[in-house]
Amino acid sequence: MTIKLKKERSDTMKKKRIITQTILLVLVAFGFFPVWAHVSFQCPCLDDPTASNVEKANGNIECNVGARNIACKHITAGDGFALMADRTAAAPNEMFIFGFHDVTYLYPPNGVYATKAEADAAVMGDGLLGAETSSPTLNMREAQEFYLTLTTAPMPIRPDLFDPHTVHFHGFTNAATVFDGEPMVSVAINQGASLTYYYNLAGRAGTFLYHCHVEATEHMQMGMLGNLIVRALKDTGVAPNRFAYNDTDNSTRFDVDYPVQVISFDPRFHDANQNIQPLPFADMLDTYPLFNGRGYPDTVNPNFLPVPQQKIDERAVRGFPNTPYETHSSQKLPAKITATVGQRLLIRLSSVATVDLYTISASGLPMQIVAKDANIFRGRALPAGLSLYQTVNSVNIGGGESYDLIIDLAGVAAGTYFLYSTNLNELTNDKQEFGGMMTEIVVNPL
Amino acid sequence: MMNFKRKRNFLTCLAMLLILVATPMAGAYDIPGITGTSPNPAFNLITGTGTITTGDGNSVYMWLYGVEGGVPQYPGPTIIVNQGDTVTINLKNTLPVPTSLVVDGIAVSAAAAVPGTDLPGLLTREVAADNGSSTVAYTFTASQPGTFLYHSGTNPPLQVEMGLLGVIIVRPTGYNAVTNRIAYGHVDSAYVHEKLLLLTDMDARVHDKAKAGNFTNIDFTDYHDVYWFINGRTLPDTLSTTGAPWLKNQPYDAFVMMNPGQTILYRMVNASRDPHPMHTHGNHHLIIGRQGRFLSTGAGADLSNNAFTTVVYPGDTVDAIMTWRPVAVGWDVVGHGDDVDNPPLGDFPGPGDIDNNNNGILDSCAAQPAEPWEDPADHCKLFPVRLPSLQDLTFGQFWGGSPFLGALGALPPGEGGFNPWGGFFFMQHSHNEKELTNNNIFPGGMATFLVVIAPSTMIVE
Repeated sequence: MTIKLKKERSDTMKKKRIITQTILLVLVAFGFFPVWAHVSFQCPCLDDPTASNVEKANGNIECNVGARNIACKHITAGDGFALMADRTAAAPNEMFIFGFHDVTYLYPPNGVYATKAEADAAVMGDGLLGAETSSPTLNMREAQEFYLTLTTAPMPIRPDLFDPHTVHFHGFTNAATVFDGEPMVSVAINQGASLTYYYNLAGRAGTFLYHCHVEATEHMQMGMLGNLIVRALKDTGVAPNRFAYNDTDNSTRFDVDYPVQVISFDPRFHDANQNIQPLPFADMLDTYPLFNGRGYPDTVNPNFLPVPQQKIDERAVRGFPNTPYETHSSQKLPAKITATVGQRLLIRLSSVATVDLYTISASGLPMQIVAKDANIFRGRALPAGLSLYQTVNSVNIGGGESYDLIIDLAGVAAGTYFLYSTNLNELTNDKQEFGGMMTEIVVNPL
Repeated sequence: MMNFKRKRNFLTCLAMLLILVATPMAGAYDIPGITGTSPNPAFNLITGTGTITTGDGNSVYMWLYGVEGGVPQYPGPTIIVNQGDTVTINLKNTLPVPTSLVVDGIAVSAAAAVPGTDLPGLLTREVAADNGSSTVAYTFTASQPGTFLYHSGTNPPLQVEMGLLGVIIVRPTGYNAVTNRIAYGHVDSAYVHEKLLLLTDMDARVHDKAKAGNFTNIDFTDYHDVYWFINGRTLPDTLSTTGAPWLKNQPYDAFVMMNPGQTILYRMVNASRDPHPMHTHGNHHLIIGRQGRFLSTGAGADLSNNAFTTVVYPGDTVDAIMTWRPVAVGWDVVGHGDDVDNPPLGDFPGPGDIDNNNNGILDSCAAQPAEPWEDPADHCKLFPVRLPSLQDLTFGQFWGGSPFLGALGALPPGEGGFNPWGGFFFMQHSHNEKELTNNNIFPGGMATFLVVIAPSTMIVE
């Protein structure tokens, strides 16, 4: 029985080998190189039989393995389209972008697929034209070990590009180059394959950001940018015991927090990219200033933005229907901020703009800077530095910086306030006035 | 195995010998520059024209400061003096236009060597365009330690663009190049290595017009920078050695090697028109000084702050200290657990693995002592993920093929190659990403690298 099986298999294999060799010859003849790529989500929560309390939480798959607390996430990288706020029915203004897309929802527990293998097999199709901007927010806890799998999807709109991608965890302290994501010093993952990054988050609480670092000027201008939050150990997740950092004086206490990421796009650059033209790096002129990838009034839309029609069409012709439909929105993260009188509101502000610095103000609401670049804002001299906390009306932020800003809403009149760029020319969606880098802070009465 | 160990000892001895015969500070970076004799150092500078090379292969005409009898350079010579010195800079001029010298944040008095041979300028006395025959002496007292920017005070929009700028470093009282390397008069400003990061930008059209003498057509209302420099060089030239002969007018590099646990002081100076958010890969940096002032109320660096990106504004100087050590990384960065040989090759079990007690079994991790700079909690912890197969990866030139510090790994032919030490390269760059280009060609511009290398590797300045 066993022998017979072996023989059968060997015959099949012979046939397979002949077929493979023929395919290879054809590929080589047409100038293609065979790629032995595969999608593989490495996650102890799904791989380790001793994992317990496996659940979906904070956009991750989280679990315990022994004493270890683990979070896993799987994202894809590729191209796609986004909606700009000056769109009309006649001019839909769908902008060609690069970005990341979250495929963790495909996986068990309670995923679209029952097994990891089935989900792995569905990743490439799901990630096709999946680019989102802001890209999926990475949301972890300080005690966790974070396994982030990146799978590079092909770029159907730019099939001439064989670009690999990376994740640069911007601000990770004492990083090892293998997980730094800067491609000159490290490795980048090719299309059709997966690389798992590992980050031990112990001692690394704060507001960070992430982006692709491959051909950084291009890939970042194209939108491969996202919020990255590591909640402090001291943060219980339940108000009033929520803290941005492990402070000793409760000065970073907050009730609600919102990530707000400064992004800006140059439509000429995106058009040149889509049309395979030389890229105007030095000529970059960003005319779409955005929060979380949206211009006002899209910023105050609490929902996913609609799926761009080009994305639907381009996926459809490749045989990938948009189901479940809403997961293919390219702009999932709103920028609308809602709080209640008396609360302490934490704005996790970061910038990944590639050209300009921006000055952000919350009209009439003073903001206290409690942290800069994921460091509680105080001197580092031993035994203790002085507080550098500063209450400001505006903060100037450059690309690659982050600020934690607390707005104390005690005694503030209920109403709608605005968070916006004080360079008022940036309150535009390209040529459309009254838009751009602006959102609402809605303060509800008690 | 015995041979292997013996060879290691021999190499260690050789390395130590080399360190002993070299200069006292071998293995520690100092900022190259010109020094004088305290308390009255004097420097003879002369302006001249020169040509610099950019990373895209362009050559650009420049107006530059240089040491008299030397080569005009971009940036001008870094002038290093001691706190309390009365500094004199004697300037001659061979440019087609008058020029001068001012220092941001320091009051400078100017006087002609021969009265009446200088010109009255708006900001300071100027040296006439007289082919170097007259001299103006610029004198100031270096009362404040720190990092300062000097540049032309004559038609600065044009002349600073053309390259007439440089850095003055004032060493604090008590500084000693060997025993007391401090930026300010406090131990909180101590460092092992120091490096200048002088940031400049350029609109090459201005230089072409100046070369042609077409000054009337130079228009700064449509200023459009296309080059971004660190220490007068664009990436990849920032990595070439100090004084590289093929960069005649650009003597200063921006490349640093250091060991785990060591510190580097970055003296960031912005002499360009735009603010530059400088991002340090690898770790955060501690800002201890700004614009020549220690961030202190008198009790150490109590007003310092940690940052992963610092915006250096035009005319701004920032002194920041950075270190790197594998703290709480969550796996053994040396690779003790994964691969017991030294250096780890990423091939355990494989040839070269150590059997210290000759029992015929390759040693387990427990037999390997932790490095003194390692995080003991991570010692022997295995590398946490499986890396994809080589076909699935694209490799950087500075990737040594192994995730472990001090180790090299297998790479396909033609890949890697610029990291013979198995070091950890960390990009240090402007996060205005458009500035990572040389005249529309990526990569380039305002970027350089810091390399953390295993202590067994000698640091080459």
